[in-house]
Formats: sequence, C-alpha cells, structure tokens
Amino acid sequence: MGTTCRRQVARMKSLWGQAWMGLGLALIAASPSHGATQEAQASSEHTTVSLVAELEWVQPGEPFWVGLRLEMDEHWHTYWRNPGDAGLATRIRWTLPEGLEAGPLVWPRPERMPAGPLMSYGYEGETLLLTEITPTVPISGDSVRLQARVDWLECKEACLPGRAELHLDLPVRAATPRPAAAAEPLFREARRRLPVPAEGWQQAMSTTADGSIVLDLLPPEGTPPLPDGVYFFPMEAEVVEHAAPQRLLRAGGGYRLEVPAAANAVVPDTLRGVLVAGHDDDAVALRIDAAPAATATAAAATPPPPDSTLSLPLALAFSFLGGLILNLMPCVLPVLSLKVMALVKHGGESPARRLQHGLAYTAGVLSFFWILAGLLLALRAGGEQIGWGFQLQSPAFVAFLAALFCLISLNLFGVFEVGASLTRAGGIEAGSGLASSFWTGALATIAATPCTAPFMGSALGYALGQPPATSLLVFTLLGLGMAFPYLLLSRFEGLLRFVPRPGPWMASFKQLMGFVMMAAVVALVWLFGRQAGVNGMSLLLASLLVIGLATWLYGRGEAPGKTPRTRLASGVAAALLLLVGLGLSQAAAAAPPAGGVAEPSAEEGPWEPFSPGRLAELRAEGRPVFIDFTADWCLTCQVNHHVAFGSGRVFERMEQEGIVALRADWTQRDDRITAALASYGRQGVPLYVLHGPGPDSRPRLLPEVISEQVVLDAIDELAPPAGSS
Amino acid sequence: MKRLSMPVVALGLASALALTPTPSRASAVVGEAAPAFSLSDNEGHTHSLADFAGKIVVLEWTNFQCPFVGKHYGSGHMQKLQKEYTGKGVIWLSINSSAPGKQGYFPAEKLDALIKERHAAPTAYLLDSDGTVGRLYGAKATPHMFVVDKTGRVVYAGGIDDTPSTDQADIATAKNYVAAALDEVLAGKPVTKATSAPYGCSVKYAD
Repeated sequence: MGTTCRRQVARMKSLWGQAWMGLGLALIAASPSHGATQEAQASSEHTTVSLVAELEWVQPGEPFWVGLRLEMDEHWHTYWRNPGDAGLATRIRWTLPEGLEAGPLVWPRPERMPAGPLMSYGYEGETLLLTEITPTVPISGDSVRLQARVDWLECKEACLPGRAELHLDLPVRAATPRPAAAAEPLFREARRRLPVPAEGWQQAMSTTADGSIVLDLLPPEGTPPLPDGVYFFPMEAEVVEHAAPQRLLRAGGGYRLEVPAAANAVVPDTLRGVLVAGHDDDAVALRIDAAPAATATAAAATPPPPDSTLSLPLALAFSFLGGLILNLMPCVLPVLSLKVMALVKHGGESPARRLQHGLAYTAGVLSFFWILAGLLLALRAGGEQIGWGFQLQSPAFVAFLAALFCLISLNLFGVFEVGASLTRAGGIEAGSGLASSFWTGALATIAATPCTAPFMGSALGYALGQPPATSLLVFTLLGLGMAFPYLLLSRFEGLLRFVPRPGPWMASFKQLMGFVMMAAVVALVWLFGRQAGVNGMSLLLASLLVIGLATWLYGRGEAPGKTPRTRLASGVAAALLLLVGLGLSQAAAAAPPAGGVAEPSAEEGPWEPFSPGRLAELRAEGRPVFIDFTADWCLTCQVNHHVAFGSGRVFERMEQEGIVALRADWTQRDDRITAALASYGRQGVPLYVLHGPGPDSRPRLLPEVISEQVVLDAIDELAPPAGSS
Repeated sequence: MKRLSMPVVALGLASALALTPTPSRASAVVGEAAPAFSLSDNEGHTHSLADFAGKIVVLEWTNFQCPFVGKHYGSGHMQKLQKEYTGKGVIWLSINSSAPGKQGYFPAEKLDALIKERHAAPTAYLLDSDGTVGRLYGAKATPHMFVVDKTGRVVYAGGIDDTPSTDQADIATAKNYVAAALDEVLAGKPVTKATSAPYGCSVKYAD
C-alpha cells in the first residue's frame, strides 16, 4: 500500500495523476473494508452529487419521486443520455430493499455544448435527474434506505470520471406526505425542463436521396407556433451528425426538419429523441417518436433529382440581363425617374464629376444588393426557408416603404421642399452631392426587390442553392446590371445628347413622376392589405394621411415670408405629426389580420381526380401528366403539398407546359389506386409520378420528400415527344 | 473625391471571401476508400497511408491524459492488442490530434518518454496537432478506432468496445470490436460489426 501511495503522490502534479488520484480515493473510500461511507452527498473535483427526495416522508404503498442532483463548477458539465460526439452519460445503479423498484432516469432537456467541430449534449450549472421509486409490496418499518452508485463524467476541457456511493433515508408514514420544502424548487425546475410527450402531434420520418433524415411534424389544431431556434436531440448516438446544423421549414401549420445523418449511421426504424424550440423560459421540449412515412418502397430507389441545370456563366449572364430589365419594372420606374432628373441636372457638369456620380450610384446599388444577399444567406444558413423578396413578407417593412414612397411623391408634387441638410433620404433630386447618388442607388435596390424579372427567378434559385461566394457573385452581377444604364449614361456624355436640356418642362415632369411614385404606394398598400386585412389597410391609409398633413404643415412653414417663430412652430408640429403617422403605420402592421387573409391554399389547384381510364385517355393523347398519390393520414404527403405547391409556382408551370395534374386520394385505400401504385412498383404513399409528352415516354418517379425545386427540375427535364423537333 | 467603386469592390470581395465556408468535415465512411494523409511521427519520420498499401491498417486516435484512454493503457490492454496484431503484420498507427495547449498535446520528446513509460507498441505514433487528419476522418473521441483493409477501404469505424466507461474492470467483460474486426479481416471474412458509437473524451481540436 505504501509504494502505491508514493507513486500516486509523485503523479499528482499531472492532470492524469489527479484524475487517477481522485478515482483512487473514491474507490478506497467506497470499499467495504473501510466501512460503509455512503453519503447523502458526495463531491468530486468539480461536481457535488446528492440524492434528493421530493417528499418529506413516503407512504408504504405509494410510488414517490427522488432526484439525483448534480451541481457542477462553473464551465464544467455532465452529459445527457446521448452524450453526443464524446463524453459519457450519467449512470445510476440502485440497491433497494426488497419490494422497491426504481424506474429509469428521467432526463430534463439537454443543452448543446459545442467544442470546435464537435458537439456534445449535457448540462451545465446544475441539474436534477429524476427517478420514480415504486413499492411493489407495502414498505414495512418506519424508515427506508435507498442506496445508489452513481457514475458520471465531468468535463471542461479535460474530463474526469466521477463515482459516488450515495444513500437516502426516508421516513415511512401512513399520512399523506408533504413536499420537502428545500427540494420543492429543485423538482419544480426539473419538471419544467422535462420533455413532454407530443400529444396529438403527427410525426413521420423519411430519408432523402443525399442521406439526410427528414422529420415531418404536424401539431394538433390550436397549438401555438414553435418559438425560433428548433433543434432535435437524437436519443441514440451514431444516427445524426451531432455537430451539423439542422434546417427547419415551416410548412402550413406543420414543420419539416432536415437533420443530416451521421457518416456511418444505421438509420433506425423509428426516430426517437427530444425536439427543443426556443430558449430558457420560453423553451418547448417534445418527446419525438417518429415512424417512417406510411410507405414501403419495394422498387429500386428512384434516381436523385439532378442539381440545378443552370451553369455558373449562364446564371451570371441571366443575372446581368435581369438587372438590366429591373430598370423597366414598375417598382423601379419611379426611382428611375429620380435618376433621370438627376442626370439632366448634371448635364452641365464635368465628365469626371458625372462619372463619379455614376460610380456612386453603382456603389449604392451594389452595397444594398450585398446587404440583402448577406441577410438572405445568413437567414438561410440559420435554417429558415425564405426566398428573395422576403422583406416584403413583413408588414412592418411594407408599411415603412409605403410611408417613405408617400413622402417622396409629396416632395415631387412640391408640397414641401427639402433643405440642403436633408440631402440623404428625403429630397434625393434636390441634393447634388455624391452621397445622394449613393442613396438613390440604395433606394432603387430596395424598391426593386419585389419585382423579379421572369428569368431572373431561376438564376436566383440557383444562387441560393450555391455556396455563399457563388451566391454573392450572382447578386453582384444583378446589381451591376441594374446600375449599368445609369453608369453608361454618366460615362458617355454623348448619350446625354438624347436627354433633353433643362427647362420649364422639368417641373411638370417632376410632378408627373410624383404620380408614378403614388402608383407604387398603391401597390404597397394593396400588398399590406393582403397581409393585415382591411382594418390594417385603413389604418395604414390613415397614417399616410397624417404624414401628408405633416409635410403640408412643414411646407407651409418653410414658405417665403414666414417669421422664424412660425417656421419653428410648424416644423415642430410637422415632426410630431410625422411621428404619429409613422407610429400609426407600425400599429397597422402589428394589428392581427381581421377576417383572415386568403393565402394560396396548397390544397387547391388544378387537380383532377385520378382514374385509370382518365390516365389512359391522357396518355393516348400524348399529354404530359403529373400524378400525386396522397392520403389524408399521410403526414409526409401533407407537408410535401405545402412545401412544393404552396406558392402556386408549380401549378403555373404545369399550366404553361400543358401538364394535367391528377390526384389519387388513397385515404380510403381504393383498390384501383392500390393497383396503380403497384404498377409503378410501389406499395404506399407518398408517390409522385411525372409522365412526359408522347404516349411512349417512360414515367419519372420523384423522391418521397419533394420541394418546389424538385418538381420544377423534373418538369424541366421532360423530353419532347418523339417525332417532334 | 476619388472613385468610390474601388473600396466598395474590395469590401465586396472581402465579404465574399469571409463568407466562403470552411471546408466541411469529411468522414471515413465504411465501405469507401480511407482518406489519404501524410503525418510525421514523434521520431521525426514521415508516414503516409499510401506507404502501407496492401496491408491492414489500424488508426487509433489517442490522448494519454484522457481517462478513457487511460483505462485501456493503464490495464495494459491496448498495448497487448498492439503487440498481438502488429505481430500478425497489421500496421498500427496511433494518432494524436490534440492542438497545442490542449489536453493530450505534448512536444515530441515528452511523447517519447510517455510512450516508453507505457510500453506502447504502435508501428508509429503520428502527430496531427493542427487536427487536419482528425477532421478528415471525422475523429470525435479518444479512443476512436478505424480499420482499413488491404484494398485501402474502411471496414470498421467506431469505438474500441461495447462498454463505455473509465472502469478497467469492464475490459474483461466487454466485446472488443477492433479485435473482432481484425480477426475477421485477417481471415478474409467480411466484418460483421462495422460501426459502433465511439466513446471517450472529445478530440481536443483547436477552437
């Protein structure tokens, strides 16, 4: 024993030594030859563990709860039942008197603990792991002793194993027990953090062609939406790639979570784990038990959809063209008018100066394209499915734009003029500084986003699917295309020959442009009305009215011949009214939609009911056909509908190509539909079949999990009918 | 006022580069070719996976300060495995991916002493202090074990055995997946248990 002690002391300097010292001491202390030293509480280097009872005493025949409390030093953590990439779950082995049985450990929701490229799951600070003790026969005696050996791993950077032998003595009485006062807050907090069963939630699991696991969830009616920050903690290791980000799609009222599978994963039959959404007090934790979607794929796996067929140079060319065409879009035209007037104004300036204006404008356009692109990419990386123009889905932003454009048009009408100090946002045409050219460019970009030129759509779709550097390149070319005409005009003064010289006509033109700007306001108010309902829209119109009044007051105050006091008074009044107006517009945005907004329903659309006869008829005619095999009870089908058909773009495309859409509803397990499924080599739903034009074309089977892009790509690849050029 | 476009373009390029993602983590996938690499060992010699073409190779991610690695070395069990299988012509490579300043990192001379102290017997002890090879293989824990067959394909990736703990007593009763896989490969049979969850301390990559 002596030699061992000396050697151990020599090693104490190293962390290794300390670890073994700690374990050694614990083992020595726990060994029977030194007498029973089970404690109610024990400490390792960085964790104090103890057994805690929920009740002050227990009844002979009633089950009761106890908790294993782990109090960790700051920055030290212990692990969840699935520790993640590394670590060890806390383990408890009970020694109980005859007739008492211990249930499994019940774990509060874990935290994510990233470390470089790795991810672990566990607890920091303090946690209480619960166990229910059930007497199978009534407990005899007036006291009962519960013993447990607890093993855990505590880590900060280094890891130390911990072991403790604990006991808990509980009085046994017949009367109804009182909760133990000191333990009450611990148990309350632990229970709050327990995952709850996902009652009434429909859950389905699928896998995609690239190896991701897809979890589809549909909550029961009336469930509030999950807070932001959704993460799935798998119950088992080696299923999910723990460190990889998970992507959430909100589809209709449901959710689709794409979870990358581990490199050598064996995907289980059922996906089990805990879904946590939100943080701290708002967090929601659900127990997930997702069976595969009701489908059995007997046929060979369908080929994965090819990557976007657009090559980079082509996408860039389309982006540039798209940018050029943006100049003609109704949303941009009013700002174009401001540009034109500024150009005309600069007609008498030096070529170098004009070019500088052109470049400043280009810089403004490009900067804001980059900002918007960066935002979009960041949000997309964060896991939300959004498209270009997302900012116009926010009523607050639409209201703000409407107010801004209203202000600009009032300025163009001449209701008020803006002094030199407000060159920036307000009187864009009044300022001649380079800054105003910059901001004109920026404003043009913001105005352009709702309009996406027809073939710009696929370039953007391509861009958003590419790595960030490529996406930025596409957005840059978009911006360059948009800024190009103005840049051209600013560089080649010869082209200005075609722009008329300044004259009295400019005042009329300015006012005419004011009306064009008002048209944009009308469009925005309409969009706002769709989002916020009639009441919200009226509130917005009222706010625009107040803003109008404010500008009129300001304009009147600035008129020549007014005393400084009048100017000040009207300026202050105008500012106050402006604030009220803006406040009203934001209040309008915050108001919930009254009477419901008619969003495009994923269930509507050009679906014809499927029948074998109809299919044969259409095939004989050589018409292309899209068949959707679905059922009400198939959750993956429902989520697919929202994700793929929700925006209506697929229906538009089908109409363009003359594709007939047939829906085979298998909810009642119609025999004819079963036979049709079998004819494609399938036994279940979902199944999506695309027949090309021409009676001889082979059907294309789409994957189980579809998105809008998957369907559009499949339509793109339809071969032309044999015999046609 | 000089041209505004230049700084703006520079800003754009800078932001484009900043947003370029770091190389995504690869992994050694069972059934696929083991990723190629080249590392130097604690004695200064360089070894590449290609050097061992045609041989069975074991990759053992290790960290002498991790209690899980300590369980296997302290009991003498890891050394026994190393001697047994290198004796049968298997190449055993221990790999240390701890970043400088992190647990498990030691300068080469100190490692010499630690290896000798433990009587470890790998073919070579490789130093991967920038974590490149660890990330290439998706090494998560210590010990994390990979077995590569004679054709260069990964046939086992995962933990050393089926009993995650720091208890030496568990070694006797645990099923050792690496020994099982090596026995099967040496006999020319397919590996029945090709993957398992690795357990141990996390590999101490740089932050």
